[in-house]
Amino acid sequence: MTAAPKATLLPVYVLADESQSMGAHLLDLNRGLAELHEALLGQPMAAAKVRFSIIGFADDVRERMRLADLRRTDHLPGLISRGRTNYAEVFADLRHRLHADVGSLKQEGFAVYRPAVFMLTDGQPNDNAWRTPYRELIDRDSTPEAPNIIAFGVGSVRADVILRLATRPEFAFVALAGIDVGSAIARFCTALTHSIIHSVRARGPGAPRLVVQQPDGFEMAIDVV
Amino acid sequence: MSFEEPHWGSIAVGTPGADFEPRPASSAWYRPDTVADGWATDDLIVRLAAVRGYAHRYEGLPRQDDAAAVHHPVTGSVVFAIADGVSSTPLAHIGATAACRAAVTAVLSGLDDDGRARWPDVVERAAWQVVRQAGLVLGLDSPDPERAERQMATTLITGLVRPCPDGPNVELVRIGDGGAWILHDGGFRTLFEPAATPLVPSEVTALPRVPEVVTRGGVLTAGDVLVVGTDGIAEPLGDGSGSVGAYLAERLAVPRPPLTFAHDVDFSRETFDDDRTLLAIWPRQRSRTDTRG
Repeated sequence: MTAAPKATLLPVYVLADESQSMGAHLLDLNRGLAELHEALLGQPMAAAKVRFSIIGFADDVRERMRLADLRRTDHLPGLISRGRTNYAEVFADLRHRLHADVGSLKQEGFAVYRPAVFMLTDGQPNDNAWRTPYRELIDRDSTPEAPNIIAFGVGSVRADVILRLATRPEFAFVALAGIDVGSAIARFCTALTHSIIHSVRARGPGAPRLVVQQPDGFEMAIDVV
Repeated sequence: MSFEEPHWGSIAVGTPGADFEPRPASSAWYRPDTVADGWATDDLIVRLAAVRGYAHRYEGLPRQDDAAAVHHPVTGSVVFAIADGVSSTPLAHIGATAACRAAVTAVLSGLDDDGRARWPDVVERAAWQVVRQAGLVLGLDSPDPERAERQMATTLITGLVRPCPDGPNVELVRIGDGGAWILHDGGFRTLFEPAATPLVPSEVTALPRVPEVVTRGGVLTAGDVLVVGTDGIAEPLGDGSGSVGAYLAERLAVPRPPLTFAHDVDFSRETFDDDRTLLAIWPRQRSRTDTRG
């Protein structure tokens, strides 16, 4: 934890598939990102917490925007169609990028939430070589900054791949049209940032036990209802 | 005359957050924005505030923190509890209230029985209260702890300050997050080890689960202030070395009236928008001119 944080930030990454199979959907994605920008600007508390990065990937990985404060950003950079789909490259890049980015935000005096990654893709990678770098990326033991990944399938979607990319089943979506993608990401983003949802630690080694029976001599202190 | 200008009037610490009129809380049970309390015994001065966070004000969710502080006349102890309902559970605010009242009742009962609090029992009773409360609210025929956990899980810090010949003795226990400190000369000495994680944790231990309970404490000397807070305070405070630490150290230097105390707790600092609960206890310096009976 940062000693006395200036603010608490959520790093958000849009991983956009720029491969040629994505085709006309890039136009929709670009529009969707613009909508996301608008939506966040209308939510001042959410916008204050987010540092926004856009990573385009195809054969290689191109950083289009890094850790931007959207309140000070006029417009988002466009995505550019090219090449074929290489997931392995982008997951390996992301693992190093998250480590570096979280480190630099903490050095600047911020406390940092677990990063959120919105991956926009048609779920048609070249090969299966991505599984190992993906597993390393999301393994919290080997990657302390392991992100939550929300996967959006667009275009000619392979839904089974989208499900494998999302870090929870409820984080997997298939978009009907590019416009849906923009508003869906915007809704998700603002929900994520309004209040970082706390969940109860119930699983894993050392999980505390659930109290299942009435203690001796227990008396109800109040009836709230 | 226009009434549309923002009027919330919080004190800014660093860059303030957004200023707006809160939305009403969408809860079937009336729950005010702020709880403020304050009183003094012969030995101790108490101030307490539980304040709805800016995020919940913006979203129209109720305050999910709660607190309680009472006096045990026979031992002179001040008994307290603060709780932070887990935001992923829809009735978190009820869990927080139930846990605080049950913890305080259980501590008082121990003090009545043999002059001490048995902390594992206290925590167990608070956990069971959450289970029973969930049963009432949901209209269940029999208690369902797993359902209670999904509906109204909550953290809890509970303890007491007891006047003793060597000075007021503090004992407290924690389930989940939040913190407790001794404030002295502008510095915050933590009573709980800070978490050693690179990221702000989003998972928390919460009632009705109970971990192994470890009692913390110490003796308050002249110039000390016991400060206990939920995560809404602990997160911006950090190790106390920054602006929030300096601000709170100044505002807590002396006990101020309860409404001023609550206003102080409701400071505005960008991104720190969680509900906040703060309890402060000062050893009382009695002067010859003190007119209390």
